[in-house]
Formats: sequence, structure tokens, C-alpha cells
Amino acid sequence: MRPFSFTKIDNAANALAAKKEKSQFIAGGTNLVDLMKKNIAQPEQVLDVTTALSSEIEDFTKGIRIGAMARNSALTTNAIVLEKYPLVSKAVLAGASPQIRNMASTAGNLLQRTRCPYFYDVTTACNKRKPNSGCSALEGENRMSAVIGYSEQCVAVHPSDLCVALAALDAKVNIENSKNKKSVISFGDFHRLPGNEPNRDNNLPENALITSVEIPSNGFQKHSAYLKIRDRDSYAFALVSVAAALELQGTRIVAARLASGGVAHKPWRWYDAEAFLKGKEATAANFSEAANIAVQDLKPLAHNGFKKEMLQGAIATALQQCLTV
Amino acid sequence: MEFLNTIDKKVKEGRVEGVDKVTGKGKFAAEYTVENVCYAVLVGANIPAGKITSFNLDQAKQVSGVLDILTHLHRPEVPGFATEELIKSSRFGLPIFHTDQVYFKGQPIALVIADTLEDATYSASLVEVQYAATPFRVDFDAARETVGLTEAGKERGAMAAWANAPHTVEEEYNIKSQVHNPMEMHATIAQWTANDRLVLHDKNQGVNNVQNVFANLLKIPKENIEVFSEFVGGGFGSGLRVWPHALAAILGAKQVNRPVKLMLTRPQMFAGTGYRPASWQKIKIGADASGKFQGIFHQAKNATSLYENFNDGITRVTRLIYDFENLKAEAAIVPLNLSAPTWMRGPGDCTGDFAIESAIDELSYKLGIDPVELRLKNLAIATNPETKLPWSTNFLNECVMQGAERINWSERKSQPGQLVDGDWSTGYGMAVGAWNAGRGNASAAIKMERDGTITVQTAMTDIGTGTGTGMVNIAHDTTGIPKEKIKIELGHSSLPPAPSQGGSNGLSSVSGAVVAVSLALKLKLAEFAASQNEIYKTAKEEEILLSENGLSFQKNNQHFISYADIWSKNGLTMVEVEASSGPGTERQKYSFCSSAAHFCKLKVNTKTGKVKLERMICIADGGKIVNDQAAANQMSGAAVGGIGMTLMEEQQIDTRLGGLIADDLAGYHFAVNADAPIIEVGFIGKPDPNINPTGAKGLGEVGIIGTAPAIANAIYNAIGKRFRDLPITPDKILLG
Repeated sequence: MRPFSFTKIDNAANALAAKKEKSQFIAGGTNLVDLMKKNIAQPEQVLDVTTALSSEIEDFTKGIRIGAMARNSALTTNAIVLEKYPLVSKAVLAGASPQIRNMASTAGNLLQRTRCPYFYDVTTACNKRKPNSGCSALEGENRMSAVIGYSEQCVAVHPSDLCVALAALDAKVNIENSKNKKSVISFGDFHRLPGNEPNRDNNLPENALITSVEIPSNGFQKHSAYLKIRDRDSYAFALVSVAAALELQGTRIVAARLASGGVAHKPWRWYDAEAFLKGKEATAANFSEAANIAVQDLKPLAHNGFKKEMLQGAIATALQQCLTV
Repeated sequence: MEFLNTIDKKVKEGRVEGVDKVTGKGKFAAEYTVENVCYAVLVGANIPAGKITSFNLDQAKQVSGVLDILTHLHRPEVPGFATEELIKSSRFGLPIFHTDQVYFKGQPIALVIADTLEDATYSASLVEVQYAATPFRVDFDAARETVGLTEAGKERGAMAAWANAPHTVEEEYNIKSQVHNPMEMHATIAQWTANDRLVLHDKNQGVNNVQNVFANLLKIPKENIEVFSEFVGGGFGSGLRVWPHALAAILGAKQVNRPVKLMLTRPQMFAGTGYRPASWQKIKIGADASGKFQGIFHQAKNATSLYENFNDGITRVTRLIYDFENLKAEAAIVPLNLSAPTWMRGPGDCTGDFAIESAIDELSYKLGIDPVELRLKNLAIATNPETKLPWSTNFLNECVMQGAERINWSERKSQPGQLVDGDWSTGYGMAVGAWNAGRGNASAAIKMERDGTITVQTAMTDIGTGTGTGMVNIAHDTTGIPKEKIKIELGHSSLPPAPSQGGSNGLSSVSGAVVAVSLALKLKLAEFAASQNEIYKTAKEEEILLSENGLSFQKNNQHFISYADIWSKNGLTMVEVEASSGPGTERQKYSFCSSAAHFCKLKVNTKTGKVKLERMICIADGGKIVNDQAAANQMSGAAVGGIGMTLMEEQQIDTRLGGLIADDLAGYHFAVNADAPIIEVGFIGKPDPNINPTGAKGLGEVGIIGTAPAIANAIYNAIGKRFRDLPITPDKILLG
């Protein structure tokens, strides 16, 4: 780890003013500290924003606003989240470990970097870590890699569970830049596909901070599920995961949301499958067909062909769980 | 029989070291405070094969606080590495800093020493190395094709004798490499207190082994090497060897003339302290129509390193469990550009047993005979089929029967895929395992104080198995002194010598020494007492009764003499006795084994590939159980390890780049509590009258050995898919 200075900052404006080229914000540090230990992130200055940003979870008429510093664990115990946005809580509980969830922040969760093993191994080529060095995973060990939306430059997947739920629920990301200008990025536009710039994970501008995440109110309280298939039952990243949410009138689907982790460089929405489900009966056959539709465009790599079948099973299962869980 | 998970609710005595461990008072190797200590960090090679052509240390040396950087061009000479011949005969493995060859990626090639860990770590990241790279091979599956098999032990009977067996199974089995990953990372604090005197605080499973290894390498008397390993945070075999980093710390300390602390990072553990090597096996097994086994042909290969040969002994277990009149075994090792593998819990047997017990399960379906019945029909329960000596005790058949009853085996369906509930299919599986129960020579001492407090001492380590706690029980049972007056001292080289704690030999070896020294204490006290009461002059061990305050003859309080009295009359401050104990002629009369049967009930989701264990039962024959909590804890820990081995553990290797990937605890998955049901442990509990004075047989290995095949067999029973390769991850379930 490279030596660095550490400064605690008490509000967002000061944090943004203090930010220099080689400085980096730190919140829970559950990913950044690993990156620093492995010499992947080498900031000269670390700015602690844990007291600079809100950790409030506020209910407003059109939705919920989650402060950037709300800990992941808070999302699993907060009464409003549990009552109105249970999918968020379910997704968070499927990720990491209690210790990590106690530290990790909401904004940091959005900004965590891929767990592609080559990204973490500085002896190997990785375009995300070192642009134009190559992608070791493309023809290497890519069992955990992307099956859709990737490029020759990068086949990494986004590791978050929370973000899959936020994508499904059409969340918005509130940001503030160094000129104290506030703006909003819709969740679907927040994370990027790798394209030719895999070093860029998201569209958060340089020298900007996430201040909060908003989730618009919805009709999915009663019927949502988060299903994560992984190699072990705790502290493991998804082989594939599915956030499913249904709004039902009787047994008819009024609205459906489907998103996945472990498949792409960003949380992936299955819009065609959602469109298929809208207006249909909530039956196993329709769930199965929605799963079929979702996996049509997958382009697996050498070692992750299984994700097509697994995803198909996971989508159908998650939709079924919406009716019971 | 009482099942320990149900009686656990009773209030029980904790472990002797428990409070020290949870309060932090107990020191693990890297936690000792040594004055003037500095810190060392290893630098690993970035390529898998080649030669180091040069180092550029300019930047690394500019980091403040850097004291020195060792390489093969700049280090103190290790006398034991002076020639190629000596390197070979040292059997140390990697001649660290005494070669320019790179044998594997991550091979330690430089050591940065600095005032602080942070400075050393940063400097290590700045060391630049130039290599002349050469071709490498790390792909076990490809490399094994190029290595021929040779006979592994004597052939029994003849292959021709069962060439026409009516029922056969002939299949291949592959297991990926697994890594020990004890919680405590390996660490050494090396301190030279004189030119030829060394103090080591080291994580290992045997302090006397560490002494011997370094005495040989450094050519100094072993008495001059003091080793502390008083608390050890898990080993699983990784501490049975002395690894290069410990020598690096010693050389670093010599170089900078200060104590040096070196703790491996978690990723360094993956290439620095051994692993269970990848393996390939082929089994052919034949039975007659009644299910009687006619013969077995077991072939096995395991990976090893280029600089050191390691044979995992995979076919050993084949000779142990069943009556095979005809048995042929072949083995080979496959050198790769990887670090050296080593023994890992249930070494060899775990691997071999997976193949045998999977094949037997498969055979049971072909025969239409229940797997439990098939095993009971073929177990070598009276005699060791290899040595033809009678087993001293072997209750594996009882383990099988009790396990079957406990899991309600009768609810298992004889054909797969019969217990279906939606997407979930339920299955039952079982397997057995056995291990040669060993015993080594061990010594122990007792120091007794005036108030009757005794301290029982031995050099043996306690790697988390409860050795010390077991010793309290044995000393209490043998002397009669209450447990609260018994203290334990372990893991220090000046204490009476004992073998390393491994291969399920720890308690079996040390228990004899504790009994012997407890009896010696009685006789010693009687000798003092005899000056006050002649009756003690000829008193035999069993006639001398010790209590909290003094000794009696034949009956409590008969001819009672208090310790205080003895101490005063004889002007004593401390009574000290030492005794040794080891195996003898009983080993010519009997064979010894520990054994266990594993039963498993699980469900498999046919849509997602998820396997969920519902029950895991492990019934073991470990002779007398000296301490049931510690013993049950060993068994359940081993079974959870086995769950990991079966369902997730795999050290990934990039065959194009030539190195390990995902070598940390996020990338390498071992089982956690969420993956395991409560492991239901039971013991037969019948003492082995011949193995040692307590009748306890080691349990460390048999808890894991049968776990993997029991699970794989249950998966087959659930969904009708036979998995012969480990780990069985969800993707394999779906595509299998």
C-alpha cells in the first residue's frame, strides 16, 4: 500500500473542494481498502466523507430518499424500507457478510468495483485497471464473467446486489459536483457498459459525490424476490442473481420488473421479459416463458455457458417466489 | 448412545485455553512483543518459470525506514544450502534466496525489511525484477497425460482372478486443488540472541520439528533454537512443514541484526504453505452377484512441484477399509510450475475415499443392493486386509448401522429422483472412511506446587483440537487431582519433546505420556510420603490416591498425608517429574484404525443447481473419547471442511498465464456456517485397549474422509446425476 494522508471532512462542499487529482473519497472502505492493499488504487490523499454525507432514510410522498452514508445494514432494518421496498432489503441481505454490511455505505455500494480476479492481480493484463493492457479474462478463467453487454476490452461484471434491486425499482442517483451543482442520474444510466473505456465503471463525473439515492414509490411491496445463485451461501458473489417484482391485480400482472446481477458490466434489466409479463396471468408457464425471453440474447464465453440455463431457472424461480415470499 | 448436539445444552467445562484465546491474552506467533523488532515482507516472482536476471531495488530502497533487501545475490549464507547436494538432502524444498531459478509464480525471491510493516509493504511493491522466462506447465489435466503410472504397493491376488466379475464399475475421478486456509496466517518472529542462538515465535504444528529443520540448515545445535508456538490458530496440515518464509525471517534477522517479524498475507498463504494437490483417479471395482467385492484396481495421480516431489498417498485407503482379495494400485506424481503441495486434512485418504466410495455407491445401484448393506457385507471388520493382523478394535460396522438408524435410512428411495417437491429433489447418501491410527513417542512433565496445583507440560502444540483440554481430563482421571488445579503448558521447545500434531496422532501420542507422568507423580509423592508413613514405601500406582490437598492409600483419607506436610518435611518448593511413552510390541500384534460413517440428506434444486444440505451425520470410532466437546468439535469442523471440498473448494489456476487466480478469501470459497446444517456427531466410545494407556484413537482425519462421497452419493440419489469430479458447483449440477 502506498503511503497516503487521511483527512476527515464534515460536509459535502468541503469534501468536493478538498478533492485533488490524486485524492479519493472513502466511506465504508469495504472495497477501497482492498484496492489500496493490492496497489490497484494508490491515492495520495484519502478524504473520509462518513460524516460529510447524510445517512438518513427519508420517506417523502413520491418515494424514499436514502442518504449516501446510510449503511447497507440500515437498509435491512429500516421500517420504511421493509414495508414499502422490501426488495431492497432482500438484495442487501444476499450480499457480503454482516460485518461488511455494517460498514458499507449506500453510495459506496454503487461505486464498488468488479471482482474479476484479473482486475485484482496486478501481474496480469486488465483494461479496466490499466487501459490498453488487454483483457485476461476474455480467454482466461471467465466462469464468473459477463454473458451480455460486454466488449472485447472487458468481460467483467458489476458485483453489487443492492444495485440490482435499485435498477429494478428505477431508482435515481442524486449527485453534487465541485461547483455545488446538484443533478440527477437515472439508475439505468448510472453504470456503464465497458465498450472501449472499461476503466470507467459509471457516469459519475470526476470530482462529484453521490449525496443520496431515491426510489420512486411503487406497487411492488407485496410481491418481490431476490434470488442469488452462488458457490456458497454467504460471502460470495453471484454466479447469477435475479431481482423480481410484480404488481398484481388478483392473479393478473399489472407491472413486472426483472433485473440481474452477475451477467453484465452493469445491473441488467430484462425489459422484453417485463413487457411480456405485463397483463398476463401470474402462472408458472408465463414465468417460464418470461425466463425464455430474457435469455435469448445471451452470448456466453468459454466457461460460463451455464449462466444461460441458470439464469433461466433463476428468473422463473424468482418470479414464482414473488407469489410466496 | 447420546448425540452430542443434543447434550451440548448441558453446562460443560470449556477449553483450558478458551479464556486466553477470547480475551487476547493468549499470543499467536505474530502477536508476541519482541523488543526492537522490525518487519519483513516477501516479494513474489511474477512469472511461473525462468531465471532471475537482475533486480532493480533503487526505488524500493528509497522508501523511508527500509533497512535492507535480501535476494539470492545479497543474503547470509545458509550452510545447509551450500551445495546442490546439501539442498537436496536438506529436504527443505525451496532453497529460498539460494537460487536464481523461478519454479512458480509467487515464489519468494526478495525480502524487504523495514522499521514498520507499512514501509516494508510499500517498498516490496516497488521491487523490480527482470527475468528470462522459460516455458511452463501448470495444467494438471494436460500434464498428467505425459506421466506414466508405477506400482503403488504390492499387488494383492491377481487382476485375472476377477476379469469376469459379473458387476463392475470403471470410472474416472478428478478433484481440484484445495487450500488449507487456517484462520491464523503463518508468521515467524526470528531473533538471534547470539551468533549461534535463535529464538523463534512461529506458527507450526510441531516445535521440535522446527528445531530439527533449522538445526540442520543452519548447522547449530538444536538446543540453541528455542521455538514458541503456544497458541496456533488452525493448521489442517499446513504447519507440519517448515516453509521458506520462516527461513527468510531468520536470514533477515541475521542480516539486519535485529529481530524480524514476517507474517504472510492471505494471498501469500496460497502459494506459500502448501495445499491439497489436484488429482486424477481411475477405479475399476468388481463384485459377484451377491455383492461380494472381487477386486479393485485403483490408479491415481497428483500434482507436485518441480523442485520437490510430493506423493499424496491416494491409494493407501484402498487397502484399509474393505476385504479385497485382489487389489492393484498404481500412482504417479505430476510436476508442475506451482508451489509444493503438502498434507491437508485426511491427506490422500480423503481423495482416494471419494473415488472408492463413489464407485461403490454406483455399484450398489447396478447390483440392486442397498449401499449400507453392500458396505456391511464387505467391510474388513476383523483383520487389516493388508497386514493380516487383527484390528485391535474396529467398529466401523457399528458406525454404519447407527448412522443409518439416525438418519432414517429406510426413507431413502432405492432409485434416484423419487422424492420430488416442485423444483427440489431430495436424496440420501452415505460413505465410510478410515485412517491408520498412529501413535508416536511423546514425553510430558508435571510440576507440582505445595497447594496441590499441577502444571502438565509437553512440547506438543494445540492447533485448535483441544489437546490441552484433553490432557486435563487424562491427568485428572489418572491422578484424581481436581481439574481446576490442573494447568497446561504446551508448544514450547524447552518442554518435554513430543511429535508434531498431525495425522490424527496428537492425542494418541501425548495421552500415553500424560498417563505415564501422572503415575510417576504418584510414585514420587509416595516416595516422599514414605518417610512419614512406611505404608507408602511399597505402595503401587493404583493404591496411591491423590486429591486436592494430599495423598491417601487405597481409600480416600486412609493414611492421608497433606501436600503441605510433605513439602514442609522435605523442604520442597516444587515436585517435578517427567516421563515418556510410546508404541511398543502391540504394533506387531495388532493393526489400528480410526473410522467413521457419514450420512447425508440433502435437496437439489433442478432449476438453479443449488444443493442444500439438510442433515449431515457423522458417527465415528475414535476409541475412548477423552473430551466429548473437543472431539465433537473436531468432527463437525472436519465435516464442514468436507462440505467445502465437495461443493465449492477449488484453487483456480490460469493455465495460459501460469499462476493462481482468485487467491484470497473472497475468490477461494470454503464452506461457512450457512452452507452446513448442524453436524450431528456420535461416537461409538469403546476404548481401544491396546493403542495407548487411555484407549483414545485420533479423530482429526476421519471426520472429513467420507464426507465428499456421502454428499455426492446423495446428489445422485436426489436427481440421478453422478458427479465424479469435485467440486460439484451449481453450474455442474445444471449441465451434468
